[in-house]
Amino acid sequence: MLPGASPRDAPKPSWTVSLARRATPFFAIAAVFAIQVAAGAGPVLAFPLYLTVILLTALQLGRPESLATAVLAAIGILIPSAVGGGPPGDMAPALLLAIVLLVAAVAITEVVRQVRESADQAKRHTDEIAASEERLRLMLEAAMVGLALIDGEGRWIQVNDRLGMILGRPRDELLQLPLDAVTAEKDRAVLIEALALLRSGDIVRWEAELSQVRGDGTRVPVAIAIGAAPGHVPGESLLLVQESDISARKRLDGLRDCLVAVRHVIVGGLTWEQAVPQLLSSLCAYLDQDLAQFWAADPERQALRVRHYWHRDAPSYEALRDQRRAAAIPMGVGLLGRVWQSGVVAAVEDLAESNDYASIDVAQKAGLRSLIAFPVVDAGVVIGVIELLAGHVRSVQDDEVTMLSTVGVEIGQFIRRSDIAQALRRSEADHRAIFERSPIGIVRISGDGELVEANPALLGILEHDFEAMRSSAWPDLLRAYDQAAARQRVAPLLAGITPGGSVQVRAATSAGKWLWLQLTATSIPDSNGRPEHLLVMIEDVTTVRETSDQLAEALESQRSANANLEKLDRTKTEFLSIVSHEFRTALTGIQGFSELIRDGGLETDELRAYGGYIFNDADRINRLIGDMLDLDRMESGRMSMRAGDVDINEVLTEAMARAGSAAASPVEFKADLDPRLPIVVGDRDRLIQVVSNLVNNAIKYSPDGGTVTLSTRSEGGYALVSVTDTGLGIPPDEIGHVFERFRRVRSGAAQSIPGTGLGLTIVKQIVEMHGGKIWVESAVGHGSAFHFTVPLVAENVTPLQRRHA
Amino acid sequence: MLVADDNDVAQRLCKRVLEKAGYLVLIAADGLQAVDVALNQHPSMILMDVAMPGIDGLEAMRRIKEAMPTMPIVIASAHSMASDRERFLAAGADNVLSKPFRLADLVAIVAKLAQDRK
Repeated sequence: MLPGASPRDAPKPSWTVSLARRATPFFAIAAVFAIQVAAGAGPVLAFPLYLTVILLTALQLGRPESLATAVLAAIGILIPSAVGGGPPGDMAPALLLAIVLLVAAVAITEVVRQVRESADQAKRHTDEIAASEERLRLMLEAAMVGLALIDGEGRWIQVNDRLGMILGRPRDELLQLPLDAVTAEKDRAVLIEALALLRSGDIVRWEAELSQVRGDGTRVPVAIAIGAAPGHVPGESLLLVQESDISARKRLDGLRDCLVAVRHVIVGGLTWEQAVPQLLSSLCAYLDQDLAQFWAADPERQALRVRHYWHRDAPSYEALRDQRRAAAIPMGVGLLGRVWQSGVVAAVEDLAESNDYASIDVAQKAGLRSLIAFPVVDAGVVIGVIELLAGHVRSVQDDEVTMLSTVGVEIGQFIRRSDIAQALRRSEADHRAIFERSPIGIVRISGDGELVEANPALLGILEHDFEAMRSSAWPDLLRAYDQAAARQRVAPLLAGITPGGSVQVRAATSAGKWLWLQLTATSIPDSNGRPEHLLVMIEDVTTVRETSDQLAEALESQRSANANLEKLDRTKTEFLSIVSHEFRTALTGIQGFSELIRDGGLETDELRAYGGYIFNDADRINRLIGDMLDLDRMESGRMSMRAGDVDINEVLTEAMARAGSAAASPVEFKADLDPRLPIVVGDRDRLIQVVSNLVNNAIKYSPDGGTVTLSTRSEGGYALVSVTDTGLGIPPDEIGHVFERFRRVRSGAAQSIPGTGLGLTIVKQIVEMHGGKIWVESAVGHGSAFHFTVPLVAENVTPLQRRHA
Repeated sequence: MLVADDNDVAQRLCKRVLEKAGYLVLIAADGLQAVDVALNQHPSMILMDVAMPGIDGLEAMRRIKEAMPTMPIVIASAHSMASDRERFLAAGADNVLSKPFRLADLVAIVAKLAQDRK
């Protein structure tokens, strides 16, 4: 009830009181009459008393009572006069007085009636106003908004109960505090500023959402509207304040904002490790929590362990964090263990009233009062629990539980995506590093052969930038690959790659240096298993290739050297065998005949003949040894040529002369010498040896005589020398071997012609030492023609030669 | 007996020594001659050189032994490495004489074969 409100109706007086009241004037009249009679007073004296009674009666009681009283009073005045028998003149004043009394009574009652009527009217009016006010007041009280009137300074003038409820303060207490005093500090300045504006009339209405302080110190979010009071003159600073408690809406907003914030973090492209502090701090910020921790279920599902932690700054929270680090909660044990097991959100409104929480002592010591724990779920499996703790008692509503369940699922999915993304990133980073840092060239090409990417190693190998690589070098390589592949019967690069196949191709660097590149292609399938693009690994195998080529070459030359050595070895064995055979054959005669001579008993002519045999064989051995030593010196390159100017024609003439003087057989010599043959550079003695040998052979193999023709000619920069005989000739199967050692023609008539079998070999060596060639033409029975050449002007011209040129 | 050798010095030496020892000596200068003489004149034994023009001593020996398996043949060769001796014996020679030889050895080998022949 508003203070000062009067009761609506006075209580009805009882009938006895009412009767007494109504009888009182009559007793008063009677009393006055009695006094008048007793005193014998005149009516004039009694008159004021009667009049007083009538007046009082008129004031206090109704009209009938007044008139009745007045009649009685008139009677009372008249009676003593009439009874006393006084003069009739005496009756007149009494009568006058009685009339006056009656008139006075009538007038008074009339006045009183009028006064009463107007009073009644005024009262009705007042009652109506009061009723209207009451209705308004009831409306105010019944309103769901807090309403109040304040003055320009924000002091409450009037407040309704609702406002008191919103602010959690009794009305009386509230009236002591100005509006800004019950407003949270952070909003106070805004409010004061708004009041100033309203006061000055710059604005007529201000609306805002504020946080206000309740009587118990908690905060309540309110929507506030302040405006000039209705019907009020601006400038008089009476303001109407409307406030409504928006904490429910705020809470819903908070839940919604929390979800939005969590989603914002989740889709922010962060890794789980990066995101988790933001997630935990968002949960704390939007759900008015002080501490959040993420408990991860280990893969073996043995225990929950704290992996991430966020809290508002407070030393006690840090202590709690340190204590929690070592904790391991088994499945199903305690509140967190049950959340893990059941996958259902759990909360403790006030830890002080709970015995369910394992770390309750620690939490309370840290000043924490309430907790909510919700599961983090991935694919139906709880992979962790997020625990939120607040330093105040905090109730949890269904919508918050629903929201947290949703958050748990979304975070669970995020963790998995993050894990996958991280694995992918790591894998990508690995591959990128391999691609970038590999010493091997790597290119990625599209299905139609277009170069998509080339790593630095390849660009380095080929000394190209990417653009040149893409536009020219790569297509060249592709063609080279396909050509090489065709040769090796391998599929072309783009036709589908069998793993492990490598093809080596030649390629030029931008500087024009030729390299050997080994290309190994691998197709990378898309998700349907079809080749999407190709990776080609390109190695510079130039060094390897060159080394292997060199090795092969070296092996080949080694092999051929071995073969030569073997051949040499065989030749040497063969040579030794032949030489020893020759020696032993010669020695057979020497030894046998000298033994015969030693044993004595021979005739003189026998002795002479045997001595001749011995000499011939000894001479033969000597020649053999000389030829062999010559040949060995020539073949080993130890024979030195005494180079000088040589006139070939002169050499021939001399050889012919020597042979002619020694020859016993009837051979005719012919000379066909070119007189313009230039002087050549050579070893004259050796050239004479060559020609003499050929001439001697010609004579030896012309046992029946014939013609030996010597000719010279200048031909193609060479002096061509020919020694032609008309002798036995050489059989076709032996003509190819005449220059080999110990290959003497011994068939038929030639068999008894002596020789060491080394002469032509030596001749060939000497000719070749001069840079010439020797060959033979022959027909059995028609003779042989030996030809040899000596270069006229050697490339390595000697000063001597130049003089004669 | 037959002496087959392309070297006339060797021919003369053998002929001189063997005649002195009491043999009748036929001479052949190459393998074909040796085969011809052996088959036509039936010598009691043959002293055969190896390195001869035409067919060599071993081929001649093979042909002679084909026709006259019991014909004693001594290979007299200047091929006188250790392996040669084995080679000649394997080819069917009854004995091997290395050149150069001591005259007494020649006579002894021939005499021994003549003895065996009897």
